[in-house]
Amino acid sequence: MNEKLKELYKNVILEHNNNPVRFVKSETSEYIVEAYNQICGDRFKLFFDLKDGKMINASFHGFGCAISKASTSVLLSYINGKTLEEVGQTVDSFLNILDEQEEITEKITDDFEAFTAAKSFPGRAKCATLTWDELKLFLSKLEK
Amino acid sequence: MIDPTEIRKSFPIFANNPDLIYFDNAATTQKPDIVVDGICDFYKNDYSNIHRGIYDLAAITTQKYEAVRDKVATFIGAPSRENIVYTSGTTAGINLVAFAFLAPRLQAGDEVLITAMEHHANLIPWQIVCQSKGATLKTIPVNEDGSLRRDSFRSLLNNKTKMLAIVHISNATGYINPIKDMINLAHEFKVPVLVDGAQSVAHYEIDVNALDVDFFVFSGHKVFGPTGIGILYGKSEHLSRMEPLNYGGSIIKDVRFEKTTFLEPPHRFEAGTTNIAGVIGLGYAIDFINQFDKLKIQQYLKYLRNYCISNMQEIKGLRILGSIDDKNENGAIISFLLDKVHPHDVATILGVEKIAVRAGNHCTQPLMDFLELPGTSRASFSIYNTPYEVDQFVRALESIQQFFK
Repeated sequence: MNEKLKELYKNVILEHNNNPVRFVKSETSEYIVEAYNQICGDRFKLFFDLKDGKMINASFHGFGCAISKASTSVLLSYINGKTLEEVGQTVDSFLNILDEQEEITEKITDDFEAFTAAKSFPGRAKCATLTWDELKLFLSKLEK
Repeated sequence: MIDPTEIRKSFPIFANNPDLIYFDNAATTQKPDIVVDGICDFYKNDYSNIHRGIYDLAAITTQKYEAVRDKVATFIGAPSRENIVYTSGTTAGINLVAFAFLAPRLQAGDEVLITAMEHHANLIPWQIVCQSKGATLKTIPVNEDGSLRRDSFRSLLNNKTKMLAIVHISNATGYINPIKDMINLAHEFKVPVLVDGAQSVAHYEIDVNALDVDFFVFSGHKVFGPTGIGILYGKSEHLSRMEPLNYGGSIIKDVRFEKTTFLEPPHRFEAGTTNIAGVIGLGYAIDFINQFDKLKIQQYLKYLRNYCISNMQEIKGLRILGSIDDKNENGAIISFLLDKVHPHDVATILGVEKIAVRAGNHCTQPLMDFLELPGTSRASFSIYNTPYEVDQFVRALESIQQFFK
């Protein structure tokens, strides 16, 4: 396997793909955000409740490629128990890094950076941001 | 047997991309020199509009353009050039039949029959026509291996059935429908039949007359021709009773502010300036295929598919969708899944290795839903593919499976 590919499927992606964080179906959750990419059929649901402005009992479930599944797993590793504002900042930060608008700071660890390689693969950048984009949309609607 | 190494030399893409392993022929085929150069020569030497110019050049272009109809007619066994309608592709051909043939005849309570393995192009037009008329779209189910449930087909046909639309070879699994039997049975109920030949014309001898099929559609770009050109074959009795679907110039006999009368088929379905160079290119593509014996093409592709399958079966955790019994006839398509790797990851990694395959639902989402699959990876072969390429492909699959272990 060549270097470019290894870069894409870094350990962090393979690890999250094989052992996703909070990978549980929870159809009774207060909020269910569905992310669907009709081009490839990847479909994930984010489940969570809101209490005192915090996202709790967050989990996800669904089916997609290693990149979309791992990126959603990384998302879940950040958001549970966080305030909506904190979640919003994390989501923006991730999307900005993938959009090359933000320097990778110390605070943001390898697990964000791993996905930047997806951009150099045709058609795969969307896989990395699929659920993040959808959550951002949900948050913006919630503000209104 | 045909010689793929020799055939490759006719395809400039391989000279320009020596490492390319192109296994996405069900999506589109590469173009031989005769097609690429033919189109180029046409634009350089003979180009003008058709059916309107009085000058020599326009007459020559028109003659060449119309002559391709004869070539297509012979290619698929149609009685005459009048049965050959130029379209932009398979999709446009199906839409023309759905909206210009079926829609005016369809009534509330009627039924239209398709199979569960149809490409979206042979599903949505019928669905929309049915919805607009209060008719019902019925689906012939498939078995777990993607093959047709023949028993269900019989029981679904009845006096309310007004159309049967079926794919000849499934682009998702390579399964070949028993179209001759299906056409015969449909005709017992006086049901007209459309066959989607997008995946079959490049490899199989088509004789629309012997099949007694009512409509047959295919795309030029899947038979080594250019994109944007396709063919609708229709029986004269049907075409002559169809009104145009698109209105404009080139299709008219007489125009008054009060009323317009239209040309006879096939011209009444070809409004506006058509894809003239596409037609010319398709003519060259047919010349190209006609060099080969279709039976020899099938024989070679069957060998290549079986060779590939027997090697793929060595890979643990790899599952092939559809029949792998080499006694069964099957298109040159292998749809497969690796147990730990999503089809899109497979296609990305193969892509880096310069191996082009398709991944996803192959525009057959209902079929994938029925089979409870997120999609598959698909390798599809053509006459320029070699066993050596298959070896590289199988080795790459092994390393992917290893990497994701």
